[in-house]
Amino acid sequence: MKFVCLKCETYMTFEKVEKPAEGSLGVFFECPSCQSRFSMVTNPGETQMVSSLGVQLGGRTVDHAPLEMTRGGLQDNVSAGKGQMAAYLNEKIQGGQPATAASAAPATGSSESGEGGGCPFSAMVAQMGLGSSGSTGTTAPTGEQLLWTPDAQEKLAKLPSFVQPMVKSSVETYARKSGFTTVTLQVMDDSKNASTEGIRWTPEAQERLDNIPDFIRPMARREIERLVKERGGSEITAEVMEEAKEKFMKFM
Amino acid sequence: MTPQSDLKTILNKLHYSDDAKVVAQISEQTKMVMSRMKGIRRKVVVMSGKGGVGKSMTTVNLALALARMDQRVGLLDVDINGPCVPQMLGMRGVGLFDSPDGAIPPTGPLGIKVASMDFLLQANAPVRWKGPMDLSPVWLGMTEMNVIREFLSDMVWGELDYLLADLPPGAAADKPPLLAGLIPDLAGAVVVTTPSEVASNVVQKSIAYAQELDIEILGVVENMSQYRCPSCGVENPLFEGDTESMCEVLGIPLLGRVPFDRNFARTFDKGQPILDASDPTVGKYQDIAKKIHTLLDYQQVLAGKS
Repeated sequence: MKFVCLKCETYMTFEKVEKPAEGSLGVFFECPSCQSRFSMVTNPGETQMVSSLGVQLGGRTVDHAPLEMTRGGLQDNVSAGKGQMAAYLNEKIQGGQPATAASAAPATGSSESGEGGGCPFSAMVAQMGLGSSGSTGTTAPTGEQLLWTPDAQEKLAKLPSFVQPMVKSSVETYARKSGFTTVTLQVMDDSKNASTEGIRWTPEAQERLDNIPDFIRPMARREIERLVKERGGSEITAEVMEEAKEKFMKFM
Repeated sequence: MTPQSDLKTILNKLHYSDDAKVVAQISEQTKMVMSRMKGIRRKVVVMSGKGGVGKSMTTVNLALALARMDQRVGLLDVDINGPCVPQMLGMRGVGLFDSPDGAIPPTGPLGIKVASMDFLLQANAPVRWKGPMDLSPVWLGMTEMNVIREFLSDMVWGELDYLLADLPPGAAADKPPLLAGLIPDLAGAVVVTTPSEVASNVVQKSIAYAQELDIEILGVVENMSQYRCPSCGVENPLFEGDTESMCEVLGIPLLGRVPFDRNFARTFDKGQPILDASDPTVGKYQDIAKKIHTLLDYQQVLAGKS
C-alpha cells in the first residue's frame, strides 16, 4: 500500500509503525517534498490481514524465530480477541447499535439494480464472470443437442450411476470434436481410444498398453501421447509402442 | 505543482518502491520454503474431498510402510484444526525443539519425523487464533495458509526420501489442492476414498480440481473396502460402491484396497501403532507404498533424472 501526496505529486515514504491499541496499528508516512506527515490507523480486520501475511511493516527488526507467526497467533485463552471486530464496528460505525455479521456485510443487490447493481461485491462477482448459479457469466457454446442411439444409451445406463455424467460428457466432447451428431456404440468405443489430446490409439497399440501394470498405465499413456504430440503425430500405433519400448522396457 | 492532475497521470510519473518491505518479505518466505524443501527427494500429499475416509490413517501407515522400505520419511500433519497424527503414532505431549536453524521435528516409530499443530497445543485444546476471526472467515483462511507455509519453511527436516503431507478434508472452502500448491516440486497426490457413492462423488471433484492445478494424481486408495472380523479374519463388504470404475473413468490407478480393521483402528487410537509387517492390513499398506515408490521411480525415469 502506498500513499500519494497530491500536493507534491509524489509517493509518501513509509516512516514507522506504532501500536496505539490492541488490534490496531498506526502506520506513519511522510511526504519527502513538503514533509507533511500522517498516520493511517488500522481496524482489527486490517491489522489481522497484515498479521496473517506473516510480515512486519517496514521490515524485520528482530531475527526470525521458528513458527513465530503460528505461535504468536494462537490465543492463550478463549476470550482474547473474541468479538474484537464486532466491538470495533459497534463503536465506530453502528453508533452503539449491535453490530452483527449480517449488518456489517454489504446488502445484496436488488432485482431493480440489475446485475450487481447497488452492491460492490455482487458487481465485482459479475465482473469476474461468476453468476449466481456459480457458472461463468459468459455463456459457453453448448453446441447442438447430440442424439444417442438406444444401444449407446443402454450401454451408458449400465455404468455405475455416479460415473455416468462424466462418461457422457467425455463421449459427447469427443463426438462434437469429431463432427458426429449421433452417439453410437462405435462413437463410444472410439472415444475411449481417443485421448483428450486428440490422439488416437490403434487397437494393437492399446493392447500393448494394456500389458503395462495397471497402476502405471495412466502415466505411461500420458507420456506416450506426449511423445507423439511432440513429434506432430496424431496416432499411436504398434510401431510407436515398439519405439517407446526402450524407454519403458522396465515396465512393458 | 498541478493539483488538478488526475491520479493516473501522477502515478505514471512516479517510481514505486516497496519501502514497507512487504513484497520483499513475502518473497523471502517463498525462498525459505524452497530452500527447506531442497533436501527432500519426494513430496507427496494425501488428500480427499471427503472427511472421515481415513486420510490420516492412510498417511500414517504409508509413512510407516515407506520407513520399512528403508526410506527416510517425514510426516507433516497439515490438518491444523484436527491434528491426529501424533495421537496415532503415540506422540502426544511431545514438543518441537527449537534450534537456531529452525524447529526440529520429533522422531516417532521407525524413525519417522513428525510435525503437527498438535505439538503446539495444550491437551485437548482447540485451535483458536487471536484477532477478529468471529466476523470473517477470510482472515482465518489467510492465517491458516500462512501457518502451513510456516510449517514448511521453519521445520528442520534435513535430508529425507519422502515427505508425506496429510491434508485436511474439504473440496471447496479450504481447497486442499491449493494447500498442496504451497509445496514446491510436489511429486503428486494420493487420494483416499471409501467405496460409497457419496464419497466418490466428492472425491471426483477434488481430483478434477487438483488436476486443474497440474497436481499429478498418483492414484486412489480405497479405504474401508471391507470389514475384517477381528475374531475369524473373514472380510465382508462395508459399502456398495465401485471405486475401480471411478478410477477407470478418471484414468487414475487404484493403488489398493484396505479393509476396515477394528483391531487396527483401536490400536492406532490408543497411540500404539501396529508395526508388525506380517499383519494383513499392514501388508495392504506395504503393497500400496511399493506401488507409489515404483510410480515415482517411473516418473523419475520419464523426467530423465535417473
